[in-house]
Amino acid sequence: MGALEKSNKYLIAALLIGVAFNGASVFFTIENTYDALIHLFFADHYANSWFEPWNYEWYTGFTVMSYPPLVHQSIGLFSYIGGLKFGLFTVAFIAIILFITGVYRFAKLMTSNRTAAGYAAILAALSSSFLETLHIFGQLPSIVGISVLMHALPEIYLWLKTGRYRYFFTCLSLISVTVTSHHVTPIFGMVFFIFPLIGMVIMDASREQVNSMKEVTFKVFLRTFFKLFKRIVMFGFSSLIIIVTCILPYWINSKKNPITQVPIPHGSRDNFLEVTSSGLVFFLIPWGVLLLILPYIFYRYYSKRYLFFGLSITILTILGTGGTTPIPIKVLGETAFNILTLDRFTLWASIMSLPLLGEFAYRFVEGDYKTYLQNRFGAIYHRLLGGFLAVLYLFMIVFTMSLGYFRPSQPQKIKMLPIVNFLNQDQHDHWRFLTLGFGDQMAWLSAQTNALTVDGNYHSARRLPELTTRAIERLENSKFRGVEGIGSLQQFLTTPEKYNLKYIFSNDKFYDPILYFCGWQRLRQLENGIMVWEKLNVPPLSSILPKDDVATWQKILWGIMPVTTVIIAFLLNVQMLLYRSLKMKPSFASYLKFQNNYTKFSKGVSISIHLWSLVVMACVAYGMYIFYMKNVSQISPENAIKAYYDHLDFKRFEDAHALIDPKSDIDIAQYMLEVSVTDGLLSSYAKMDAIKTEFIARDDSTATAIVHTKWITPLERVNKDFHKQLVKRKGKWYLLPDEVNADLPPDQLYSDNVTSYFNQGRRRITTEQTYHEDILKQPVLEIITAKLVKYDNHYAIIGEIQNVDDVPADVVIKGTLYNNDNRELATFNAKDVLKHKLMPKEVTSFRINFEGIAWTNVEDTIPKSFNPDEFTPIELEEQPTKFNLQAAGNVSSSDLYKDIVLSKLAINDSVITGNLFNSGLEEITIPQLVISYYNSEKELLFVDQKYIKEGIRQERKQPFEYPIPQPEIMQIISSDMDNCYVNGLPNEDISNKMVPNRIPKHSYNMLQPLEHPYFSFVKMELNNYIGNPN
Amino acid sequence: MRNKLTYILMSLVIATAVSVTTMYTAAPISVSLLTTEKTYTAGDRITLSFSKVPNKKPKLYIASSYGTTLLDPEVTETAFLYHVPSLISNKASTVNWKLMLKDNFLTGNFTITPILEVKSMESYLGPPSINAGGDDYTMLTVLPTDSLDNVLPDSTKVAIKRQFKRTFKTDTVLTHNLYSYKLIYSTKQAGRIFTASNCLGIDSKEKDVNVMPDTPVNFKIDVNRLHDYADGNQIAEMYTSQIKDGHNNIVSDGTYVTFYITNKKGYVLKTSGNTINGKATARIIHPDYAEHWQIKAYVEGMAESNTISIDFEQVVADFETQFSKNNREVTIGPIKSYMDQMIPDGLIIELKIYDNQTLVNTFTTATRDGYAAFTLKQVDVPNNTYNITVELAGINKTYTSKTLW
Repeated sequence: MGALEKSNKYLIAALLIGVAFNGASVFFTIENTYDALIHLFFADHYANSWFEPWNYEWYTGFTVMSYPPLVHQSIGLFSYIGGLKFGLFTVAFIAIILFITGVYRFAKLMTSNRTAAGYAAILAALSSSFLETLHIFGQLPSIVGISVLMHALPEIYLWLKTGRYRYFFTCLSLISVTVTSHHVTPIFGMVFFIFPLIGMVIMDASREQVNSMKEVTFKVFLRTFFKLFKRIVMFGFSSLIIIVTCILPYWINSKKNPITQVPIPHGSRDNFLEVTSSGLVFFLIPWGVLLLILPYIFYRYYSKRYLFFGLSITILTILGTGGTTPIPIKVLGETAFNILTLDRFTLWASIMSLPLLGEFAYRFVEGDYKTYLQNRFGAIYHRLLGGFLAVLYLFMIVFTMSLGYFRPSQPQKIKMLPIVNFLNQDQHDHWRFLTLGFGDQMAWLSAQTNALTVDGNYHSARRLPELTTRAIERLENSKFRGVEGIGSLQQFLTTPEKYNLKYIFSNDKFYDPILYFCGWQRLRQLENGIMVWEKLNVPPLSSILPKDDVATWQKILWGIMPVTTVIIAFLLNVQMLLYRSLKMKPSFASYLKFQNNYTKFSKGVSISIHLWSLVVMACVAYGMYIFYMKNVSQISPENAIKAYYDHLDFKRFEDAHALIDPKSDIDIAQYMLEVSVTDGLLSSYAKMDAIKTEFIARDDSTATAIVHTKWITPLERVNKDFHKQLVKRKGKWYLLPDEVNADLPPDQLYSDNVTSYFNQGRRRITTEQTYHEDILKQPVLEIITAKLVKYDNHYAIIGEIQNVDDVPADVVIKGTLYNNDNRELATFNAKDVLKHKLMPKEVTSFRINFEGIAWTNVEDTIPKSFNPDEFTPIELEEQPTKFNLQAAGNVSSSDLYKDIVLSKLAINDSVITGNLFNSGLEEITIPQLVISYYNSEKELLFVDQKYIKEGIRQERKQPFEYPIPQPEIMQIISSDMDNCYVNGLPNEDISNKMVPNRIPKHSYNMLQPLEHPYFSFVKMELNNYIGNPN
Repeated sequence: MRNKLTYILMSLVIATAVSVTTMYTAAPISVSLLTTEKTYTAGDRITLSFSKVPNKKPKLYIASSYGTTLLDPEVTETAFLYHVPSLISNKASTVNWKLMLKDNFLTGNFTITPILEVKSMESYLGPPSINAGGDDYTMLTVLPTDSLDNVLPDSTKVAIKRQFKRTFKTDTVLTHNLYSYKLIYSTKQAGRIFTASNCLGIDSKEKDVNVMPDTPVNFKIDVNRLHDYADGNQIAEMYTSQIKDGHNNIVSDGTYVTFYITNKKGYVLKTSGNTINGKATARIIHPDYAEHWQIKAYVEGMAESNTISIDFEQVVADFETQFSKNNREVTIGPIKSYMDQMIPDGLIIELKIYDNQTLVNTFTTATRDGYAAFTLKQVDVPNNTYNITVELAGINKTYTSKTLW
């Protein structure tokens, strides 16, 4: 080996292909990944305050010491040159190069063959697991961590083998870089990569002492182990110290704020056979082509030299199967199972397989396997097989890369500038904001503005119990966490002043109703289509916010250490790197001695690869057949119904129409008309949760079914049964159309006069505080009655409140409960059991529920199907006996539509039925009834509400049905109104001044009599939400 | 006794010793204020001079309403000169000073008076709207200040002027404790009161207060219909007279009026309207069967209307029902209205199926072109003999012993 080595053209090819392919596509993919923008946000934090770990922008403040900083700090550093995104892309490029070279070095170490390693590098550069991690998940720190670890492995080998201190320092320097870029990688990497490597070193050292591998007995092995023991221990302890000290603040922070959150469901923990989408993303894609050569990988890794790698990859493979088998949960324990995302095990297993994939490719393309196949099956077979594998490999690349295109994980890219401008305007950033339906782009918004949000995108750092007790990643996408997420969101919407939350940017119409009924109002639509919602009566953030400070040494260590590790690693490795890449010196690492000469490909392995591949392909084919059968919409009535509702759910009306009986003569135009006229909670704001079809009659050509559907709406869970009839025509099942509402309004064109309002805001353009005379007086409200009541096991404050001013008012009511010793027990706001907008002299009944933070006790089991309308009543230690009520009015000029009429009423058998009529000019999207109950003395006893599922078009009527509640306990605890305040002033004084001659219980003789054990009278008030104001 | 004597002697000795020492140490350093002026106007340059004490450079401690500070002297041949900084000399205040000589604290004070020239008139008026009637009031607060932002001395005259409709009124109030104020009571009439103030020839800017109408008083209502048939389709319009407050002001636009309608069966329906120019209009759809409505409107807690009653005439006199296809196809119609025209689409028809007295199922549909049809599916109504009731427009028809198969 005296002559200078040639450059490894395979590695150069791998780098060229890898950087060209991944580097070019990263510009189109990484911003749409799950994680990249989060890393960008962290990078922005470091770029702005390098040494201050406390970040105020997310949650109610969190520490960035909760994630290893190297990648974020690197992006931050590069951002000084060309902005944050420049930093992101630069680091992505570095990660790509590190990964390809890392695989090369790892493969060279494992196979001791430069060509095989070259093959491995080329295949790795485009391997589906790498593409997925980079282009779909955007896990840069994870890639950097594993890449640097792979670079460290040969150095570790050399240290253990040769005992030269140079290698000791180089391997430790690389491990320190791994640690500062990703915390989980070195810990598990230690177990799954370094332990087997140590085993391999001992094997190799043992081999050198005897003549053949066969002679390496356990005794020899043990002897060698004790010989190398000192080096192993030295390495072990030093790397332990490095893992602990390099990111010491991280460990301190983890100990101080242990993750005590309810686990967030992750696809990698699913049963992949049940949830096939998770199986695809977390098993099939990362394994990809490797799946076919699994027998080869296991065969090779279970050979004596690699024995420990064999054990390691077995464990990794099994752990990577998530919830498919019960083994991972038993091995990891429940806690670790629920905190870790198990896809990383599959990633590591696939990376560990890469050297052998390279080796296999080498042997298949130009080695002994080629010879074997050609001799046995002929050259044609070998070529066909090669073509098949190449096509499969290309298919996996294209499939993985297009996954983000066909199933985008993110909403459409949102232009952030209008939002950033809005937040900078008029001191809007003095309040917290919340985004809805932004996906991970919320992190990008946060990176661009200094305004604070109550939400965040790094769920391990959540601190508010409202968030940590629920399995929701973000409030932002709470609808995807079902009703549980919406329940959490509702608490924030109901008591926004607790969090100084004033603005909501909504990119998803789904949330509109809940925003409205929690008392929010639309401000305006920004030019990027984002709707801004605003809540009145929220105080601005105080100028000093609380933070958990840490010692200065921690801040300095955190700020300096990561970059230092990189510099040290660079300095220590640069010489070798130059030698190696420029081939200035002949290099011969001692691991290259253990070359396999690849002379005879095992027949047994070849057969098992073939058999195994057939099994895998049969499984895939069967899976596809099942998938096809489930999704062919007209093969059975079940499929037809399922497909029909699926189409309706996703508003694919043309597809839905195709399932309607062609003999019914409803053309697509007519069908669209019939569907589009129905607006309302169910047709516009519901997401189907479950569908069950029950056939009550069925023969060969017709079927009648009751379709039990469950829908999640932002307001409540809706269960609705539909009766559907189906017919079979020419072997295909069709649905018969439903009847349409024949209600015909009397007027073609009609007019209405309305009073509308406009608030100038600042009449002068000034950056100063608003002029005194431009501030509107708060409208005066009067609390007419207020009571603390107990019904069943809930406490509530109920009452009636009137706007006694001359301008329309937005009403916020906050109630507080006290015990006999005046100790505060609970405080909450009125949510949706009231009309939030009152015209002058208008009255509304209200009810304040005292909601606890749901499931704060660990013992409480989280109900599988939580109803957003339900709430967790707060647990009170003592009996509340008094209450305080604070009502605040603010002038509001929006959502003042009142033209909803109770046009028909009937009460029988404790059910109220009737008709609502829309007499005005707007289409009512969601009508709401606020129902008050009185006792025989006409004293208010209870207030309830009901959403009507269907909307009401102009001059149309809509029937409703409402069952009267039958509480078991109904008692008034306190009617004492001494502690009622309006706009901070005592209610009684206001009453005496504004309406001194009030006629008490004025319209009570218009109460509707009722027969009920508790209630003798009922009052119906009408409220409504207009989804699309004209 | 001896002891007592000793004590007296001892104390005498001590007393003498003390007095002797004090006599010697308290050798007074004579320093005196040379400046005679005691009053300055804000903005004047103020220099206090003191007679010089050799080898000393005492600091002068001064305290004004604005703050306190220590001044170093400028030492001339004969005197110490202390220049009071403009921060203090610009603020009208009483300034106390103390010369910081170790053994001799000389103290004194002087006064800085505001410049008797108003530069700006700061005024506040609040609340910005009040109720008409004379009980409610708002307060105008005026702070005349000089060019150095000093408020004028107490009892400076401030003229407060106001205008309402065509009346002008001027009151003179005196400043007291820095500011002057005037309570402005509301007028009987609603409108806007404009105010202005003047002090020493300088005028403030305009401030205004809205006088809003007081609580409404009882009013009258009436109803407007295109016809009085109960066709379940046309819309009846109810309207109020111009609602006014007790002082003949039209109530503010948007005032919410609820109309309660009690029907024949004793159910209370409701609709509402917001006033425009005092008149509120509310709409409701006609019932679809003969009705007698009693309507009364309320502004809750404040005012109510008279009660009016209206009647709706039955339009559908009768209808026919046909049973076909094993009695499973029920066709109803033609349903005709008051001129024998087909009833407008959308009349609700209810079909109830009874097995003897027990309700088996209820179906609802609406008419189209004067007809309506029900298809009774096997699933909903199993084969049996039933009593079938059809109800529309308040008419109830029962068909007994219909066998479905």
